[in-house]
Amino acid sequence: MRFKRRKLGISPPYVSMADIAFNLVLFFVILAKTQDESHIVWEPAEAQGAKAAPISRVSISVDKDGLVYFNGKQAGVRDLAPLVEKELANLSPKDRAVLLKIHKETLASTFEPILEAVSQAGGEVVHVIEDERK
Amino acid sequence: MAAGATIESSNKSGRNKASALQTAWVLNLLTDLAFNLLIFFVVCASTTPEKGRPQQVPSASKDKPNEAKPQTVEVALTRTTVTINGAEVSSKDFTGKLKELLDVKPKPEDRVVIVKSAKDTPYRHWIRVTGMVEEAGGVITLQLEEEKEVTVR
Repeated sequence: MRFKRRKLGISPPYVSMADIAFNLVLFFVILAKTQDESHIVWEPAEAQGAKAAPISRVSISVDKDGLVYFNGKQAGVRDLAPLVEKELANLSPKDRAVLLKIHKETLASTFEPILEAVSQAGGEVVHVIEDERK
Repeated sequence: MAAGATIESSNKSGRNKASALQTAWVLNLLTDLAFNLLIFFVVCASTTPEKGRPQQVPSASKDKPNEAKPQTVEVALTRTTVTINGAEVSSKDFTGKLKELLDVKPKPEDRVVIVKSAKDTPYRHWIRVTGMVEEAGGVITLQLEEEKEVTVR
């Protein structure tokens, strides 16, 4: 007597495909959205006239110790102008916003050369601040 | 008869098994869905939009006080004080006094306000004052101190 072998019907798990696709989309959205600047310790200054900051390709930060960062990586003030210029090349004037995240106690001797560098590179300065509490 | 009853009961138990499997499968799907939604909202909540203030800063000028127009308003900042054309002003009166000076000038190119800061001026003070300058209708120009190289022998 011969036994028939059972055929194994292997079909891809179509139901979980949607979940996997959704998770992948989320993963790439998070990757695209966040520049890791969590290691930079700074407190924004309070001032009036704060609006929602535009999406920007360039951010310059100054932390509590006065160290300068370009897109999350430590940089020298003298290197900023060429770096910003390179990053903003071929962008329309609307997209030339440069976010400045400067710690509130930073002195003019540090932040003024940064403003000058951004201005030289043709960027539009956007100060990241907090709304002043009245 | 007895055989018929056995078949019927076995059919019933089979149906129960199938429905239990289906329920487990649907529950599994719903758990996945809930988990995905949870992740989605956590991601949305964690990226709070930043607030900022755009500022038009024309090309910064190096320290050339003689070339400045005599009518141009000059705001000087130190660590704690503000002066308009050399006269100290309290931060409460600052906007009003600057507005008085700028209202006489209809052309935007004449409304340039030169902002000169001492090296120890903190950013929180600078951003407040420049905000008030913009509120008064002034166009900010920074006057930076030129670096001088000194050779020590």
